[in-house]
Amino acid sequence: MSLETKDVGPTPKRRFNVLFGLTLFALLLALWLVLGVSTDSFWTGNNIANLLRQGSMIAILAIGQTFVIITGGIDLSVGAIVGFTSVVVAWLLAHGFPVWAAILITLGIGVCIGLFHGFGIVRLGLPPFIITLATLTSLRGIGLLITNGATISIDNDPFTEFSRNDFAGIPNLFWMVVLVGIPAYIFLHHSRWGRYLFSVGSNAEASRLSGVNVKGTIYLAYTLSAVCASFVGLLLASRIGIGNATQAEGWELQAIASSVIGGTSLFGAVGSIHGPLLGAFILATINNGANLLNVNSFWQRVITGVLIIVIVYFDQLRRRQR
Amino acid sequence: MTDHDISHRSDNGQSETISAAAAHLPILELRGLEKQYLGTHALKPADLAFKAGEIHAIVGENGAGKSTLIKLLTGVIPRTAGEILLRGEPVALTTPLEAIQHGINAVHQEVVLCPHLTVAANIFLGEEHRRFGLLQHRHMVREAQKILDDLGFVLPAHVLLSDLTIGQQQLIATARAATRGARFLIFDEPTAYLTREEAAQLFALIRRLQKSGVTIVYISHRMEEVFELADRVSILRDGRLVGTRNIDDTNENELISLMINRSIEQIYHKVPFTFGKTILETQALSGSGFENISISVREGEIVGLYGLIGAGRSEFVTTIFGRHPKSSGKIFWDGKEVNIERERDAIKLGIALAPESRRDQGLCLSLPVSLNLNLPIYKQLSRNLLISHREESRHADSQISDLRIKTASRSASAASLSGGNQQKIVIGKWLNHGAKLFIFDEPTVGVDVGTKAEIYRLFSTLLQNGAGIILISSYLPEVYELADTLHVFRRGQMVASHPHKTVTHEDILTQALGSASADTDTHN
Repeated sequence: MSLETKDVGPTPKRRFNVLFGLTLFALLLALWLVLGVSTDSFWTGNNIANLLRQGSMIAILAIGQTFVIITGGIDLSVGAIVGFTSVVVAWLLAHGFPVWAAILITLGIGVCIGLFHGFGIVRLGLPPFIITLATLTSLRGIGLLITNGATISIDNDPFTEFSRNDFAGIPNLFWMVVLVGIPAYIFLHHSRWGRYLFSVGSNAEASRLSGVNVKGTIYLAYTLSAVCASFVGLLLASRIGIGNATQAEGWELQAIASSVIGGTSLFGAVGSIHGPLLGAFILATINNGANLLNVNSFWQRVITGVLIIVIVYFDQLRRRQR
Repeated sequence: MTDHDISHRSDNGQSETISAAAAHLPILELRGLEKQYLGTHALKPADLAFKAGEIHAIVGENGAGKSTLIKLLTGVIPRTAGEILLRGEPVALTTPLEAIQHGINAVHQEVVLCPHLTVAANIFLGEEHRRFGLLQHRHMVREAQKILDDLGFVLPAHVLLSDLTIGQQQLIATARAATRGARFLIFDEPTAYLTREEAAQLFALIRRLQKSGVTIVYISHRMEEVFELADRVSILRDGRLVGTRNIDDTNENELISLMINRSIEQIYHKVPFTFGKTILETQALSGSGFENISISVREGEIVGLYGLIGAGRSEFVTTIFGRHPKSSGKIFWDGKEVNIERERDAIKLGIALAPESRRDQGLCLSLPVSLNLNLPIYKQLSRNLLISHREESRHADSQISDLRIKTASRSASAASLSGGNQQKIVIGKWLNHGAKLFIFDEPTVGVDVGTKAEIYRLFSTLLQNGAGIILISSYLPEVYELADTLHVFRRGQMVASHPHKTVTHEDILTQALGSASADTDTHN
């Protein structure tokens, strides 16, 4: 009885998922090879470190974004949170707070922003797109109000040196991706809340009737995304040594693009951690390579757009074939 | 709605025109028409001829094959075998568009129009009047108004569709089909959401259409409507066409017995258990959709709730489950009054719900079978905050083999399974949860007989372990055979209660339909 299996294809699906991950990885390697051959400067330690630094911050944003997208939502505010929290941490450091306190407070503010998103969605019944769009513009505004439009510079050397330093030959910023990525992987694939993210994204009503705390799950997803973004805000402030609310313009779109290139479905319930990471570094490589090849930076945007269409199209194709 | 929107024109010369028309040749003929889903017959080979200009009623229980028949006739699903002849010519009817081009239209139970557009815009949707490529709004409103006036009811053509009542929207949907040159119009339980007056208006319209030569297929399980409208009636049971009668040659009892009379196969494994203590009791519980319901469930007991769709049964049990707030009344669990505010409260007490709609409420279709089976018990499967993958797989595999769920593997998506196997997941996920009370809302809809029998056997196992069951079904034989206590619901009220098999099917059906004779007394 249980042998009638001809019309279902989970094993192929599994294989496809692995294959898709490998395809992305192969694409990344191919890009690196091509750039290595066509430019002299790509495979220099300096450039690789630079590439890793560039990709790292978007990668962390993409991880947070992926949690939200898996629940069937979207978080447009992450870029604004990065800019805002860079101002917050700069302000705190300028007012004599110790580094550890400034970091904790900044992350705490990230938690508050995420909880507010959850509140707007669960309690006020606003669509995720709307509530996060609203905080996108508000946070930039508040950040500018705090500094009166100016930039706060950070003259705390240990704080700013962190992002420029390496550990074991690898930039600290990339280590931060590891620091976020491993717990994120364990959370998503080895904890029940990870399962709940998927189940809520697939069918919130069925999840609720199965005893899943749907509202709590939504709060959790947006809080994680906002915390990831405020963490990136810290990293950015460290890297550029200033706090400025207009920084990280459009990063939310890069984060969403990375996540989607990495196989996350905007319809929810499909996503991973490694996918968005690969997606982020593919985008970073394209930008880096385009710079090295002296491609007009306007073209970089066009290339990114085309790439999103191509990769997501093939991903859809793969799903339909299943 | 105010009165001036509606005009009553219940004038109609009844059956003189009909008998003349009924003598005509068949307009649509089915020869051996048949539909299978995954090897299950949704419609067994059927031969049926619709005569031009007749009103032909089709009756049958839920799952008898009525909707399959409509979908075949309107080109929504392809047939497995057989022929459809339109005026003697075979037609393919593979797409809805083709059906419409042949003049075959359907008016559904739920209005499928655009509520945010005007009445006129809806009537001309897809066939807008244009001049130089621009819409002629005023012209369309005028034309639509003419159509509405001609059809004999005064409804304003310029208002938004959503400003009308459901019944009026149903009339608009019918008018729309009529203006498209429909020669063959199928009504699928059109009065399900209508008031009496609205239904009367719809009937008047149906008769007008008939007089103008349209052939009507009228699907309903309301006996009084069938006898009021139809010239002939066909009866479906378990996907089989069991007979066609002239309305004058039959009566309500015959139709009901044709609908439900079955050699009760050995699928109902009713094992009597001795009842233990009361698990759950409701006292005068009211909420949205039901009023003043008092029931109790004991260990080892199946309490059946029978009634038509929309009678308030599902609302009642989902309120017990904490999905909706109660408005008054009390719930007792294990003898103590409890306050169930949300689903998790109910689940914590030990209540499990297998909801009515598998797809919308029961399953995360895109996700693996194993996740669906484990969803309520991930807490138990977690150790030190992390899920034990081995436990997760082991539990899923044991459910799959115990319940004989046909799936390629535990990681196949729930969507890839057949209806019966999906239902086993919906039920199976509660089995290791330690629930005391199981609520099954229409557990065997769209499930083949073999799987039904397995589900019923599962009930026995649950009862044996001291659980109680609330079983909701619109399928009378099921609740009739299985329920130790059977409560009949009609329009949000509990109209009767019967111990196991103490009354006939006909009595129960009469109580649920609320037709003529018995307007309810409650014995218990």
